[in-house]
Order: sequence, then C-alpha cells, then structure tokens
Amino acid sequence: MRRDLENKIWIYTLAIIGIGLLALYSASSVNVRVSQQVFYDQLLCVSIGLGIMYLLGNVDYRRFYDGAYIFYIVNVFLLIGVLVGGRHALGARRWLEIAGLSFQPSEFAKLALILMLGRYFSNRRPTLSFDLLSRTQIIFKGLIIPFLLTSVLMILIFKQPDLGTSILLFGVFVIMLLVSGLEYHYLLTFLGLCLMAVPFCWKFLKPYQKDRLLVFLNPNIDPLGAGYTIIQSKIAVGSGQIFGKGWLAGTQNQLNFLPERHTDFIFSVIGEEWGLLGTLLLGYFYFLLIGCCFSIAEQVKDKFGTFVVIGIVSILALQVIINIGMVLGLFPVVGITLPFISYGRSSLLIFLVMMGFLLNLSKRRTVF
Amino acid sequence: MRIKIIRLIIIILFAMIAMELVYIQAIRGQYFYRLSKNNRIRVVPLEGSRGRIKDVNGVFMADNRMAYNVVITPHDLKETDKVFRFLSEVLDTDLKTIAKRYQRDRTAPFAPVIIAEDINRRTAITIEENTYRFPSLSIQESFKRYYPLEDNSAHILGYVGKRNRTESGSFKEYGYSPQSMVGYTGIEEYYDSFLRGEVGGIQVEVNSRGQQVRLLSFKEPKKGVDLILTIDTRIQQKAQELLAARRGVAIVMDMDNGEILGLVSSPGFNPNVFMNSEDRKKISSLFYDTASPLLNRAIKGLFPPGSVFKAILATAGLNNQTISTNTTFMCNGVYQLGGMEFRCTHTHGAQNIFEAIAHSCNIYFYHLGLKLGVDTIEEYAQLFNLGHKTNIDLPYEEAGSIPSRQGRLANQKRKWYTGETLNLSIGQGDVLTTPLQLVRMMATIASDGLEVQPHVIKAMGDNFTNQFSGKRQIDIRRDVFKKVKEGLRQTVTDPTGTAADLNISNLYVAGKTGTAQSSGNQENHAWFVGYVKGEHRNVSFCVFLEHGGSSHNAVLLSRELLVYMQSEEIL
Repeated sequence: MRRDLENKIWIYTLAIIGIGLLALYSASSVNVRVSQQVFYDQLLCVSIGLGIMYLLGNVDYRRFYDGAYIFYIVNVFLLIGVLVGGRHALGARRWLEIAGLSFQPSEFAKLALILMLGRYFSNRRPTLSFDLLSRTQIIFKGLIIPFLLTSVLMILIFKQPDLGTSILLFGVFVIMLLVSGLEYHYLLTFLGLCLMAVPFCWKFLKPYQKDRLLVFLNPNIDPLGAGYTIIQSKIAVGSGQIFGKGWLAGTQNQLNFLPERHTDFIFSVIGEEWGLLGTLLLGYFYFLLIGCCFSIAEQVKDKFGTFVVIGIVSILALQVIINIGMVLGLFPVVGITLPFISYGRSSLLIFLVMMGFLLNLSKRRTVF
Repeated sequence: MRIKIIRLIIIILFAMIAMELVYIQAIRGQYFYRLSKNNRIRVVPLEGSRGRIKDVNGVFMADNRMAYNVVITPHDLKETDKVFRFLSEVLDTDLKTIAKRYQRDRTAPFAPVIIAEDINRRTAITIEENTYRFPSLSIQESFKRYYPLEDNSAHILGYVGKRNRTESGSFKEYGYSPQSMVGYTGIEEYYDSFLRGEVGGIQVEVNSRGQQVRLLSFKEPKKGVDLILTIDTRIQQKAQELLAARRGVAIVMDMDNGEILGLVSSPGFNPNVFMNSEDRKKISSLFYDTASPLLNRAIKGLFPPGSVFKAILATAGLNNQTISTNTTFMCNGVYQLGGMEFRCTHTHGAQNIFEAIAHSCNIYFYHLGLKLGVDTIEEYAQLFNLGHKTNIDLPYEEAGSIPSRQGRLANQKRKWYTGETLNLSIGQGDVLTTPLQLVRMMATIASDGLEVQPHVIKAMGDNFTNQFSGKRQIDIRRDVFKKVKEGLRQTVTDPTGTAADLNISNLYVAGKTGTAQSSGNQENHAWFVGYVKGEHRNVSFCVFLEHGGSSHNAVLLSRELLVYMQSEEIL
C-alpha cells in the first residue's frame, strides 16, 4: 500500500513532465522567437530536479520541520534582494543572480510559506473560546500572526510586480487556515474583510495589471494587447478539436501567434496539437496526482505533515486551475505557470521538491 | 472533515475546467478550427496623432499631416515574387530592397509589414486599385510630423524619429509593432510623454478576398496634448536672419517671469530632414558638419563670459564694501604682476565703478579682483548660479564651471596662482558658462536679485503651466543692484561706453559687453548681455558670436534685434 502510493506519485509526475517536454519541444521547434535552447534547458532541469526529488524522499523528515522558519527568513531576504538588485525582464524584477545562476525567489517563497505555516499551525493547540480574553487570543494567534507572516511574502512579491503569485500565496494561506481548525465564523469574517479591502487594493495595481483585469472582464477593450493573447490562445485550444492537429503541427503555435507560449500559455500548445484527448488526459494526471496527496494527508498522523501536504496540494491545484482557466479565458492573465510543464527552472524545481516531500511523507505514517 | 471540503471544491473546479474544454474543443471546435485555418484576423494599428506645437501667437511650429504607407499582411502573401515585382514597379524601388524590408520587419502573420512610407497619393491609389489581385497588399493611413516653419526654432523643437527596434520589442510580442515615433532633443523630447498619442487599433475578421467580415474589437487611439510655447517665432526669424550662417546665439527672455521669447542657436538645421528617410545623406552631413548645427549653443555651448563677468565682481565689491562708488583705480593701460603684463584695451585714466563698467576697464577689475580674492569671486558667481544648469525645460543642458581654489587642487593638484585671479576677474581662463546662464544672471541683477526660472512652455492643451513660476531671492542689498545697474546703463548712455550704439530712442537698454579670448589663434568670442525696460515688457537678452571678433559686432546685432522688436511692439 505504501509502496503503491510512492509508485503512483512517480508515475503521474513523470507522465506530466513527459507531456510537458513534448509540448515545449514543439513550441520551440520551428520558430525564431522561442529558441531551442529552452527545451534542452528544461530537460537538464528535469534530470536535476528528479534527482533532488529522489533524495528528498529519503532524508530525515524532521529536518523540514527544523529548517522551516530559517528557510522562511532566508526567503524574505532573497525577495528583498530581488527588489533591490534583481534582474529586469518584461517590466518586472523577478530574478536574482547568484554565482551565475538566475532564479526566481518568488517560486521558492511558495515552499517557504507552506513549511512556515505548517510548523506554525502544527504548534497551535486548540483553545476553547469562552471568555473575551481567550477569544482575542485565538484571533491573534490563530489568524493575525500567520496572516502577517504570509503578508510579508505577498507584499514583497506583489512589489516585483507579480500579482499572480501574490494572490496564489493568499489562496494557500486561506486553505491552510481552513485546515488549521479556526472556527468558521472567524474565517468567514476574515474573508469578508478581505473582500471589502479589494477596492482599496485596486489603486496599488500597476496600470498594466489593471488593464489585464479589465480586459478579462471584457477582452474587447484591448484587442491588441492583453485581449489579443486571450483571443488567440482560445482559438488555439479550440481549433485542436477532439484529436488535435498533431504534434508539431499546430498552426497557431508554429505561426508565432501565441505570445508566451513556452511559459504561461504552454497549455494552448497542448490543446491545439493534442486536442481534447490530450487536454483531458493531462487534466486527469493532475487530478490523480492531487488524489495521491489527499490519500497521504489521510494517512499521515502528525500535524506538520498534514499541513505540508495540504499546502502542496493547494498550490498544485490552484496553479493548474488558474493557469488552464487563464488560457481558456476563464481567469485574468496573471502570470501563473502550469506545474511541471511551463518553461522555468525555479518553478519546475520547486514542484519536484514538493513531490520529494510527498514521497517522504508517503513513507511514514507516524513520526512524533 | 475540512480536508474533504477542500477536496470537493477541487473536484468541482476540475470538472468545470473539463466541461469548458469539452465545450471549446468538441462543441465549438469546428468554429475555432475555421478561425485558425483561414485565420483571417487582422490587426490594424491606429495611431493617435502627436500633439501639435504652437508659438505664443498661435503660429504652428510643429504639425501633422496625413501620409500613406504600403503594407503587406504576411499571412495573405501568396505569389511573393509577383507581389514584390508589382511593388518594385509601382514604387520605383529595387526588388532586393523590398524583399529586405519585408524580411526585416516581419513579425507575426497578421502584423502588417510596412514596405514603403509616405508614398504619394497617386501611387497609393494605383496600389489600392490592385488589391483585388494581391489581397496581401493594403494602404495604411498614418500621421507624419512636419515643421511648417522649416529651420525656424529647430533647436527648441527638436525632431521626431522612429523608436529604435529594441525599445519596441515588447509590443512585438502582441503581433504588431506600431510605428511609434518618439521625440529627440528639444521640446519633442522633453515633453514627449505629453505630445505622444496613444496607439489604438482594430481587430477585424476578413474573408478570403481581404474584405472585412466583421469587427472583432476596437480600441480608440488618443491624440497627444497640444503645446503652446512662450516662443515668438517673429523674434526667432529675425535673430536667425541677423546671425545668418555665423556661429552664435541670441536669447530673449522675459525677465519678470522667465518666459523665453526667443532662443536661436546658429547655424541651425531643418528638422523636416529627419522626417524623410530618403534624406540619409543630409542627416549624416548634419552630424558631421564642423560647425555643429545640431548643437544648441544657447544651453549646451560652454564659453568664457569675458567682461560680462565683471558685473559679478562689481556686485561682489559693492556688496561686501570692498569698494564704494567713490573708489577709483588708475588705468594706465597695463597692470604689472610678477614680471607679467596684464593689459587693458585703452588707457582709461582714473576710473570709478560706473566708468569702469561702462568702459569695461580691465585694470579696475584687476585691482578689484585681487582685493576680493578668488574665493569671494567664486562665491558670488555661485550665488547667481553660474556654472549650474538653469533647468530650463529643454533636454541636455550643460552646467559649465566656475574655477575655485579647491577645484584647482582637486583637478590639477596645484595651488591657485594670483595671475589666475586676474584672468578670472575679466571672465577669462576656465570660467565657462552657457549663454542662457548669463541672460538669467542679467535678469537677476535687473530685478534686484529676484531670480526667475527660464522656460519655454506656456500651456499644455487648455491649461496654462505654472510649474516654472517659482522665484528665488538672492541675498544682496538693493542699493548694490541700483549702483551696478547704473554702471550697466552707462555702458549704453555714455557716448564713450562700449555699447553706445545701443542708445535707442524711447527704449531703456542697459548691459555689458564682453570680448572673450578663445584658445589658439582663433578670433575672440563677442558678447553682449543686457536688459531692456520696454513699453510692453521687460526682457533680458544676449547676442553671442562664437569667434565673432570684437564685442562691437554683438552690439550692432543687438541693436538691430531690439529695433525690430520695438517696431513689432514686442518691447
């Protein structure tokens, strides 16, 4: 049973990566704007990442717990480093270069958040809320402190600017908060307050971010900019029909129609070339992988492990849903990658590290 | 329990995505397939016209006109050879050039590639008539910048050009690259963000014959903001005529508010040359001309101010009471210092401060300079912001420099020599200023130490600008200015004054001449910097001739300029 779960994780991960590499090869094959280098780069990252995944499956699990806060703090400094001296690309500072290797600390922040919240929530003991004092204590310790810790990452990432990742972190926080056992009325009040703060946040957005959100509401506002991307990616996915146009035969893809098609919009390449069969199959693999996470969450007996699995599953699910939704025009274009598939070293590596955690957790039921 | 809720939500979201996929790919798949197959979506960028520029009287200095461009839509391009051959014939252009342009600018299948710009109407019609044969061809209308007054005010206006390729990269990602024009130098650059319109466009679905089937979406282009300048093009015209092809500068500034009425740097250029890509030769000749016609000498040219600088010494001496109006120095034509001879232009005899300014007596100012010392001279020069940018609203202004004891030590690792103080006293040596700095200095003296901010913008759209209306009061006694001004006035009124030719009837003119030695054996620079209290407004002004010989030449030009302005009722 345990071995079984482990094998499943390996199989689904490899299957998804396989599909991703094929799609990336196609996206970078014939055209000028995405160089072939992208594919080989990703291939190299996959092999390194799989190695790390395997190793993480075998380390002592307590180390994750011990390192959680340190990792969080280091990450905060890295994010500050990005804002101060990061590399510019497409109008945003997201990359940091250390020893010739550039990476995106905002991707590592996802992991830092999961570990930090996991450790924090697992240390909390349920308090009965009868009197006013203990009630404020619950709100403070169970809600406000973890929210502030999350906000630090969110704000630093938002400043880059990377609205998508920042929102994603918020989503992960809400899900982990739900699992932490905070009473519903606190949770709902908190979400209500956040909703009320949305109009206030609007003025902090950059003009292009506002544009994108407005374009999402009505793609016809800007047919040449962001609206163009949505319209074209929808055409690409739709034109794949049931069986697809065939590998390397997507006209939208090969004719340079799709901007960002090797990163955020890679799903449209899969949709066009592999058709409905391909997209559903890919979705199914994701679904199965997420299913594995839930099985692990059920059998892991210690709290830290449960929180980490829930964190991983929420990131995985949210990214898949938001990314595909974005390509299909169901969500605004916010720059969220498709797990294991979009080109990007940091993103790929982080997901493989997360899978390593899963492997590790699937091997033991009780630790403490 | 709560984990189950999360699981349920995820399942529901996945199901919704799956349903959407089935809807888009299976149910509407055919429609999207058709769209992608004959994908006949065209993007037509529409430019927002660039803001126009007018002078203070409403005369257009920069305007736009309609131009026709030939474009090819790559996706519809079949029988490439035939199309290129047709174009080559109609446009009278080499076949290779056309192919090269197409290859170079092609980005995405539906992004039109411009093959020829600004073709004449008849050619445009011929091509339009043939689009049924070559559906990939079309005529695009666009705006083209032009400067109706030709080389009048070129340095103030600047010019526009295509944004360079790397800059426009981000647009290309979206499948089209607008011919966005950006301003280079002058107003066109300084106020580019206001002048620039916003590109809009339409996305249309067309049929196989290139006819529009339906409009998919539309984004309205926005016009740029029109600007009104403080410049009076009549003054520009006159000043330019007076300077002719000589190297020099003429500036007229309203000394009460800093509005630049006229600012001419000669030789000039015709900015329309830059609008015409066929004029490459003319453009490069502008860049390599030894007279540097592209250089705006008024704000970027650094020259020694010569005797104009004596106004600073006079102010300093009177203000810290080193001299009084009764102080006289004897001029016998030469000043001896350590075996060196420092000469004066004439033998003036005993001079007080008024006479010394009016006659521009070097000996007087050698004495005064030595009494003040380099540190005080530098302090007062800094007080009048010489050696600093005036922060006029034109790009690439230079600061210049005022020599100092410390600067000498830092740059040349040696101490300051007394002989250098003598040179500095008459504005020679390494004191370098722009003509505009001196005009402002004169305005500050004329308005008793109230320093204005020079600017050329009057209004943006319908709003008058007031960001340049700030003033700064220099901390010097009023009676000092009164005396210095008396000296400056005597320069004109005294029949033996150096600018006696500027004694124009019914016009209060005052100022200071300057003849600055230049390096090598070249002719001296000729200066006149002064101010006028006119019936209509008070101005400070300068006429500067680079290697123009005696300052008398600058005085004569000043006279003609002032008489003209008086006759046009500007003064």
